[in-house]
Amino acid sequence: MQRSVIKFLLLALTMTLYTSSLHAKPLNVPVVYYKLSNGLKVVISEDHIAPVVTVSVYYNVGFRMEPKGRTGFAHLFEHMMFQGSANVKKFEHAKFIEANGGSLNGHTDFDYTNYYETLPSNRVETALWLEADRMRSLDISEENLKNQQNVVSEEVRVNVLNQPYQFFEWIELWKNAFTNWNNSHNGYGSLDEINAATIEDVRNFFKTYYAPNNAVLTVVGDVDAAEVKKMVEKHFASVPSQTAPAKPDLMEPAQTKEKRVSQPDKLANLPALATGYHVPPQNAPDFAAMALLVQILQGDDSSRWYQRLVKEKELTLDLTGGLNYFGNEFDYSGPMIMTTRTTYKPGHTADEVLKEMDAVTAEVVAKGVTEKELADAKVRYRSNFYSQLESSFGKAHLLSVLALFRDDPNQINSLLTPFENVTAAQVKAAAAKYLVASNRTVIDRVPETKTQTGQ
Amino acid sequence: MKVLLSITLLIVSSLPVLAQQKTPPPPGPVRPLNLPKLTEKKLANGLTVVLAPLPNVPKVSAILTFRSATDATDRTTHPGIAQIAAGVANEGTDTRTSKQIKEELRSIGGSLSLFADADQTQLTATSLSEFSTRMFEVMSDVAQHPAFPESEVKLAQENTIQQIRAGRSNPGFLANERFQKAVFGNHPYGFVVPDEKSISALTRDDLKAFVTKYYIPNASHLIVVGDIDVDKTFAEIEKAFGSWKSGTVPPDENPPVPVREKRQIYFVNRPGSIQSTIYVGNVSIARSHADYFAIRTADTIYGGSFYSRLTRNIRESKGYTYAPFSSSNTQAKTGSHLAGASVRNEVTGPTLLEILYELDRMRVLPVTDEELDAAKQFSTGNFSIELASQLGLAGRINTVYTYGLSKTFIDDFRPKIEALTTADIQRAAAKYFDTYHAAIVIVGDWEKVKDQVTPFGDVTIYDSDGNVVKS
Repeated sequence: MQRSVIKFLLLALTMTLYTSSLHAKPLNVPVVYYKLSNGLKVVISEDHIAPVVTVSVYYNVGFRMEPKGRTGFAHLFEHMMFQGSANVKKFEHAKFIEANGGSLNGHTDFDYTNYYETLPSNRVETALWLEADRMRSLDISEENLKNQQNVVSEEVRVNVLNQPYQFFEWIELWKNAFTNWNNSHNGYGSLDEINAATIEDVRNFFKTYYAPNNAVLTVVGDVDAAEVKKMVEKHFASVPSQTAPAKPDLMEPAQTKEKRVSQPDKLANLPALATGYHVPPQNAPDFAAMALLVQILQGDDSSRWYQRLVKEKELTLDLTGGLNYFGNEFDYSGPMIMTTRTTYKPGHTADEVLKEMDAVTAEVVAKGVTEKELADAKVRYRSNFYSQLESSFGKAHLLSVLALFRDDPNQINSLLTPFENVTAAQVKAAAAKYLVASNRTVIDRVPETKTQTGQ
Repeated sequence: MKVLLSITLLIVSSLPVLAQQKTPPPPGPVRPLNLPKLTEKKLANGLTVVLAPLPNVPKVSAILTFRSATDATDRTTHPGIAQIAAGVANEGTDTRTSKQIKEELRSIGGSLSLFADADQTQLTATSLSEFSTRMFEVMSDVAQHPAFPESEVKLAQENTIQQIRAGRSNPGFLANERFQKAVFGNHPYGFVVPDEKSISALTRDDLKAFVTKYYIPNASHLIVVGDIDVDKTFAEIEKAFGSWKSGTVPPDENPPVPVREKRQIYFVNRPGSIQSTIYVGNVSIARSHADYFAIRTADTIYGGSFYSRLTRNIRESKGYTYAPFSSSNTQAKTGSHLAGASVRNEVTGPTLLEILYELDRMRVLPVTDEELDAAKQFSTGNFSIELASQLGLAGRINTVYTYGLSKTFIDDFRPKIEALTTADIQRAAAKYFDTYHAAIVIVGDWEKVKDQVTPFGDVTIYDSDGNVVKS
């Protein structure tokens, strides 16, 4: 619906704006989509460029939905999915995939948890069998839980606690920017709460969320869709469905004034700054404009914030960030902030950095962006989008989240359209509406021993 | 009969509990590899060009590789010059400012970056395939006419110094730096980052002289993979790179790698550290060495895959660590084998014990046939997955030229891996997983873990700036 409104507004500008988009080869990803009687969503996409296949299962549960008092639990549970099932012993999932020439992993995100393997395509049924076995019959023991609590504790130490900055542009920014616990809590978890998890917690979580009617199975690669359909029926059709889990409350009250936090950092040598602005929901009419605004402000090293801070004012060493800290515009389902992270030079202050960011924003709000800048942002967006589709896993990822969150993986072939239709006026309006101080959270991370870092 | 049978089938198919299959299904017939055809050509100026059509997405990826600072004089006079040159080369040419380069790349959906190690300076670019002509033009401009504007050089010097300072707060950075120095000493592979004085001393003239000497077509190769038509793309390349002047190929001088008489511990003290970051390893071989396939496969079984011995032991059985790893890093001149893990302070000693035990087990006992078969499947399967991406294939072709491998390396990969025996694996492990002469690097809190560390060998203690504190 929002698309037709945008098109209507666009008519006058279409010719100049579309010069580069007209060259785009039309995207034609084949998609077979259906549901088994137990509710499992199935997506199959043939691609015969290489003898490779990706099999993935996406469960509709992320760390936003984990129980209170159990921060880090969704991720701990992800680890438990490699601890064995009725016919696959502890860790043998890895053995079966690797001994069949593949690689595998799992990932816990805001709103989903995925499991995937890429392997030679003649081994596709092995992967389906493995995924079906653990969806049906996860085997959970005290000993394995304790083992993975140790492993996950080390993961938190190596990636967070023993690192400078400690992931503050995610963990601290979200903690401060959001008020609803589901959104604001630390998804990596505190060591205490990770280690407090019980076998009962694991069993309940599995029963509630890891059911076929709460999942998407995706197969992408050098396979025959009709054959895969039969294999899917054989291995998954008899996995029993469960009562659908309650929808989590992710409602977030609108932010009304700026939040500023300064934090000492025991391990860092240089100061760093992170900002987060709440962005409109994915179905809002100005979402695509916001995504291109992010591209124009910080999408690459030609972007406005990067040029101003790193090159012109020489205030900061780097500038990274995006609309969704962990992923893209499509692989989450709830409130989101656009994040920016920059390491700034000793002898400067967070205020100086913010002042320059705000000056750039003010220019966009006052004068908008140029037609050339917008056209380039669209080309860049399209190019990045194609890169996501290059690997069978990249394609499986997009198809899976579109099935999971929109019940429509066919959208993969038209996903670019709303972004290509954005006008400069809409980008300007999005900047004026969202890039205001009252909508942001700022964290200044300052080394505790600042004396050594002068010069 | 017939009726009865169909009733039975009906019952079976409606009984969910019976559908659980106990063993993994057998593989289907092997699918054809469909490797893109490689075309090698040479420009009149000596530039080697390799093209491979891989139209998986409407994009194109290109890697242009020069030599690095292979002349020993350049390395001694200007440590780090290859890195700084690579960092500033795309910040302005004779006809384009830094900003114009970035904006041009943006408008073709492209990227362009350079990095330098001891073997090569690599210029990697991508774009939408419809804009490949413009991508080659920018690549060629950066390769031939980098201007090194004063302001850009100064900014890069300042920022590099700060980035290295930031890096010194990261345990992985410190462990890698100490390991490379311990294993390779004064060999160029022992160099990780320049000191601040060397960075500040570099001038624009130094950098210009460096690229004039090293960025030459007759000691370079260009690999192009993507949604391309070979003839049309080659014509675009000829147009963009044809006028590039050839030069004198610089010498390639390398001092020997130091010999370690016995196992030695290099401890980088990081007070307050709540984990020990442990690296254990040794010098190994060049990529072109005949043992390459054996050491690579031994490494897969040891710690180079998820279901490896090391991961099963210190992660899945003992819970000491999250991501234990090992890798066989073979380059143009020589290489190293490395195993490592980051572990909570309390299990530093026990982890070292297991890392060494698993290395020794590979040397003393043959691996099982099952382990070797799995490792072969793992290597060949993941090799074809790697070759299915544009930059994966381009990177793999690049190694053939940079490391002086056989032109049939990619085709030979599968048969050479498949021919390995358990005896080959044990022989390679015995030679290269040498715990008696191993370098052990630990980044951690010395006061907290010293009692666990000292039983394993003599210790030299460093601070995070690389100075020896105590030996």
